[in-house]
Amino acid sequence: MQSIRPSRLLAAGLVTALAVALTGCSGGSGTATVDPKAKTTIVWWTGQADQAQKILVGLAADFEKQHPNVTVKVSSGAPSTEDLLQKLSASFAGGTYPDVSYAFGSWTSQLEASNRTLDITKQVADPKVDWKDFSAAARQTARPTGRRTIGFPAVVDDLALLYNKTLFDAAHVPYPTADWTWDDFRVAAKKLTNPATSTYGYGYSVSGSEETTWQFWPHLWQNGGEILSSDGRTAAFDSPAGVNALTLLRDMARTDRSVYLDQTDTKFGQLFVANHIGMITSGPWELYDLKTGRTKYGVTAMPGTNGDHETVSGPDVWTLFDHKDANRAYWAYQFTKWLTDPKQDIAWNVQYGNLPLRPSETSSPEFQAQVKALPGLDIMAANLANSKHARPTVPAYNKVSEAIGKQISAVLQGQGDPATALKAAAKQADSALAGNGP
Amino acid sequence: MTAVPTAPAVPADRRRAIRRRGAARALEGWAFVGPATVLVLGLSIFPAAWSFLLSLQRWDGFSDPVNVGAGNYAYAVSDADLWAAVWHTGLYALLFVPSSVLLGLLLAVALNRRIRFVGLYRTAIFVPFVASAAATGILSTYLFSPQFGLLNTILRDLGLPPQGWLEDPKQAMVVIALMSLWGSAAFTTVIFLAALQDIPAELVEAALIDGATKRQAFRHVVVPQLAPVIAFATIWQTVEALQLFDLVYTTTRGGPLNATQTVVYYLWNAAFKQTEFGYGSAVAWGLFAITMLITVGVIVVSRRARIEAF
Repeated sequence: MQSIRPSRLLAAGLVTALAVALTGCSGGSGTATVDPKAKTTIVWWTGQADQAQKILVGLAADFEKQHPNVTVKVSSGAPSTEDLLQKLSASFAGGTYPDVSYAFGSWTSQLEASNRTLDITKQVADPKVDWKDFSAAARQTARPTGRRTIGFPAVVDDLALLYNKTLFDAAHVPYPTADWTWDDFRVAAKKLTNPATSTYGYGYSVSGSEETTWQFWPHLWQNGGEILSSDGRTAAFDSPAGVNALTLLRDMARTDRSVYLDQTDTKFGQLFVANHIGMITSGPWELYDLKTGRTKYGVTAMPGTNGDHETVSGPDVWTLFDHKDANRAYWAYQFTKWLTDPKQDIAWNVQYGNLPLRPSETSSPEFQAQVKALPGLDIMAANLANSKHARPTVPAYNKVSEAIGKQISAVLQGQGDPATALKAAAKQADSALAGNGP
Repeated sequence: MTAVPTAPAVPADRRRAIRRRGAARALEGWAFVGPATVLVLGLSIFPAAWSFLLSLQRWDGFSDPVNVGAGNYAYAVSDADLWAAVWHTGLYALLFVPSSVLLGLLLAVALNRRIRFVGLYRTAIFVPFVASAAATGILSTYLFSPQFGLLNTILRDLGLPPQGWLEDPKQAMVVIALMSLWGSAAFTTVIFLAALQDIPAELVEAALIDGATKRQAFRHVVVPQLAPVIAFATIWQTVEALQLFDLVYTTTRGGPLNATQTVVYYLWNAAFKQTEFGYGSAVAWGLFAITMLITVGVIVVSRRARIEAF
């Protein structure tokens, strides 16, 4: 019998462990009225890593110091920002979602549809928040359907034209200017191209992902086109404006052979750094690599059509989630408001090398110091004024994006013509927007 | 044998003790298999059952799920992109399975001799298998890069036209098959090597004494002995081939022009990029059914042929 007792213990222990595991953590019952003095813990998923994460952890500690009754449990939330969406979905199923999470702008309508987000429309109307100071695209993304404000802008960026001075000098081509047209751009790209040295004038992603798609939107908008109809129910990009825009890219890629067609989304940036591509359209995140690679580069606004130099912006959002607990909701809001105030935003976005969330920050000495370290950042910040349209925030946007991204890459790789391709993409997008499909 | 008159021979209290000991034994047994059972139930059976329920729903991970019955399966049947993915996967299996089995057999025979440094050769063959597919994929994109890769540089030096490799829709799948062959030939080699060493040397010797040539002895003595292992390796590699994902993810992401979009890549994209978890689950169950059919089919055939692989 002696040998049996330990195993019984083991079995009993196992059953207990199982029971504990299966009951899991069920959320505590929240309070209905706010008590700002109560001990409160909020969970914050930043979606950041390395240096960025270090800055945010420091800011959370600062906030805790100012409000000793509040604990901010801060973590990245997921191994990469892209994985956050999946992690959020899983955390909803398990009931362990955070109070504040980073979210890509393209996710916001889905997150709102979960009915687990807070609505802070009334709070942000307070003049102290200075909500209007955020760029229009950023504000629109935080209000995906226009009914609720689900969070604060977290990071803003935009596409600008980056040119490689080494290659321009070698080909004796004058540098791009802020009033370039796409024709100027095309001519320069062709002059820069040299098959013997594997040098290309321009780089464009043909992976068919959002990288392919969003690079196309400025072309479409500048030609007077729209992505969706005004009611958001049908695709509108298969217009003459869309065909014009895609024809330009097709002619550059097929006729001039001046475009490096990147299958991976990541190589064209590296090749630009390594002096193999003369021009790319990219954002602030590229500047750090250019500094590390010691590339001689310049930055200017996107080439334009009829004087219109519109660009595209990809704002991300600090989304606030509802735990039916007034104290947690109160502090989640207070914390995010504090985080996006100019002072803290300088400590975070500006120090890290992102664009400032608020134009007022550009005059700060911190931003001026960053501009010295990362030349062109000021031009990209000013370029936010050229971002007039927001990317659609309909739930089916990712499907619309895939439908057109696939067709753009096919046309650039020599399959099909712009008009037919856009028509096919629009048909698929319409079906997705109507809620058909799987 | 219905009436067993031995029962009264054991005293009642002893019988109780035996029964108690039996119960204790059972408990002890469960304690040993318990953790593993919980793991299997929790990490395999439960997710599988849940994904089946999901496959009957339309769910984006956030909004309330909508029951669609067999709708996802019906959509899958009419989904041209999915069929393209099935075709790409089939092409890959056709390229990969026979060549990996043949190459494994060849390498195993070559390594099954008393030659100098055989340990070194065996290790060298096995190293790529240990390397992760991610590393293999990323390294080979550099090797195969059309503009800057080593292979095209060699072709250019030889005066041959450079190739598009992974950026050419016609060649991409072949390149991926080559890459995975490099990575996984070691697996079949090791299996065949073990099987070869199990074949008694006397059998081959006897055949040789009876006047068979070396080739005949290999063909008629060694190969039949290997048949069960060949059947096993074929099934295993087929299942592996149908689940190709990691190499595609690290090299082409399904491109160029979807030429390397495999079924698993397609379902991953549907579930996690398009957040159509229901549809992704339905495709996964379809793939499971096909894999199951192939496996059962091969088992039945090999049983009929009296190859005892399973």
